Amino acid sequence: MTGDSGRDGRVLGYGRTITPALASGCHADCQEPCLRTNNCGGVKPDLMKYGRETLAIAQRILIELVRRRRSLIFWTIFPILILLLNGYLLTESDFVDLTQAEAYRIAVPTSLVGAALFFSCLGGSVSTIVAEREQRTLRRLFISPVSGLSYFFGVFLVHTYIGLGQALLIYTTAAVMGAPPEGALWLALLIILLSIASYVGVGLILGTQFAQRTEDVNALVATFGVPLLILGGAFVPSNLLPERLLLLAALNPIYHMVEALTLAAGNFDETGLSTELVSHVQFLLGFAVVAVAGGWLAYRRMVRVERRL
Amino acid sequence: MLSIQHVSKRLGNRPVLQDLSIHIHTGEVYGLLGPNGAGKTTTINLICNLLQPDSGTIAVNGQPVTDATCHWVGIVPQENLLYRSLTCAENLSFFARIYGVPRRQRAARVAQCLQAVNLLDRANARVETLSGGMQRRLSMAIALVHQPKLIILDEPTTGLDVEARYEIWELIRQLKHQGITTLFTTHLLEEAERLCHRIGLLKQGRLLTEGSLADLQQHIAAEEILVLETDDEERAIARAIKLGYTCRYYGGDLALWLPERQELQTILQNFDGIPIRSISRQPVRLEHIYMELTQQRVPPTPAFEGTALQSANLPPFNPHH
Repeated sequence: MTGDSGRDGRVLGYGRTITPALASGCHADCQEPCLRTNNCGGVKPDLMKYGRETLAIAQRILIELVRRRRSLIFWTIFPILILLLNGYLLTESDFVDLTQAEAYRIAVPTSLVGAALFFSCLGGSVSTIVAEREQRTLRRLFISPVSGLSYFFGVFLVHTYIGLGQALLIYTTAAVMGAPPEGALWLALLIILLSIASYVGVGLILGTQFAQRTEDVNALVATFGVPLLILGGAFVPSNLLPERLLLLAALNPIYHMVEALTLAAGNFDETGLSTELVSHVQFLLGFAVVAVAGGWLAYRRMVRVERRL
Repeated sequence: MLSIQHVSKRLGNRPVLQDLSIHIHTGEVYGLLGPNGAGKTTTINLICNLLQPDSGTIAVNGQPVTDATCHWVGIVPQENLLYRSLTCAENLSFFARIYGVPRRQRAARVAQCLQAVNLLDRANARVETLSGGMQRRLSMAIALVHQPKLIILDEPTTGLDVEARYEIWELIRQLKHQGITTLFTTHLLEEAERLCHRIGLLKQGRLLTEGSLADLQQHIAAEEILVLETDDEERAIARAIKLGYTCRYYGGDLALWLPERQELQTILQNFDGIPIRSISRQPVRLEHIYMELTQQRVPPTPAFEGTALQSANLPPFNPHH
């Protein structure tokens, strides 16, 4: 008998002795099926289950990313490239008179939350769902006890790693270019996390409801993403937008992400956070809650509709 | 272990299952046979709580099916639903975590399951590098990793080559020897014949019959089946009817039911004067029973009416019946 010896040692497969407790429960106190461990026990699901499932899903997605390497390399190159381009553009622009440090400081929010996180977190979470759908492992998950909440948090956790990694790269590159991080870093971190949550939430909505195939990911990101990025000031500074577009931009979460992160980098009034900054963070917080709830509901709907063998 | 009682299910306007009742005892290997669209996969969906029955009840280990009872069930789906860029061990470890296998036991359990399906030496091989048969074995290992009480295999050998099929059969035999309750669906009659304690025949959502092979053989009143190749089928059939044999066509071959065992010489004498190219004697097999039942009973008709006969010039049934 090898491994976790059970109550009734058995032989399985090519005469080897394994899986000793296949037909019996695993806890002496349990008669009912439960979510606590594997196949027996108390009847109450516990937080450990969600934690365990979340970590399992996050680890699995990360392993797949690391295996493919290429994606991770591109997610590393992309934010640095965008920052360098934005920084150079602002430094050399004839329309504004900025030092290199000022230019890079302005370029950090647009490059990070406006571009890098958008593609890695929103595009990435859509791709995660579509990849699962295309290799049909979603169906395997549907017949397992994994919960929608765990799935969401697993995807969120992975993209938090990626997003924070990209933030680190961007802030480091900016520091090298003479613009070290300033202002309330805790607030910057909060805004980045809210941005990641928003993107992952929207990514799950798009991935579960609209993207059936890999080709859809590109079309979805282009259709929904590029207009939002332009309106959000990711490629064109928002102060160049005409008044009508600024009204539209006020409804665009990316605009609030960029503005909030810009203000968090230093613009405080004497009483602490400016009211403008607070309003941007409030909008972002509200949007993140709606996006997360929407993502979770979208996942549940997908499970309800597609949960078949 | 598994109790399905009077379950009916419609998908849209189409009845998929009609008053289905199956009881599988602990340690039993039960084969659910049927053509494509018979309702086999729908039955599995219901057992796994992926669908709800319109009427009737399903219980696993005495408990009505809920999401919680899925911990008692291990499923090997028709397709290999695996993470292709992960290794065998990583796939197993992932599902072990999802099913809540405690951390202390996980590594040992993964190794045990890989060993059970003879993939221990491929533990660190990526799934995308495995053959179809190996992937199916890994699917079986995943189904076993949380030590379920009931294993469900949905057409486990579909799409596999002969060698891989034998490997899967061997694994199912091992489950059988260990007394692990197993339900598997198949449309391969030989597979069911070799592996199952009991067999249920499903067609158009109805269970036509169930029982052991010996029980099912009672549906054919013959000791053995004689398959004749002749250039003069009409005369052969006329002679067979005169001799009291039931005539059938199985896959285009003329088959005669012999009510009792006879010497070959006697058989040849019986067909004296008829040009016979070949004769083969077969025991009553599941394929004969299957043909007999599936081609007669839906919609239900009296026994031996509307038979398996495919040829217009062949008398449909034995007048002695």
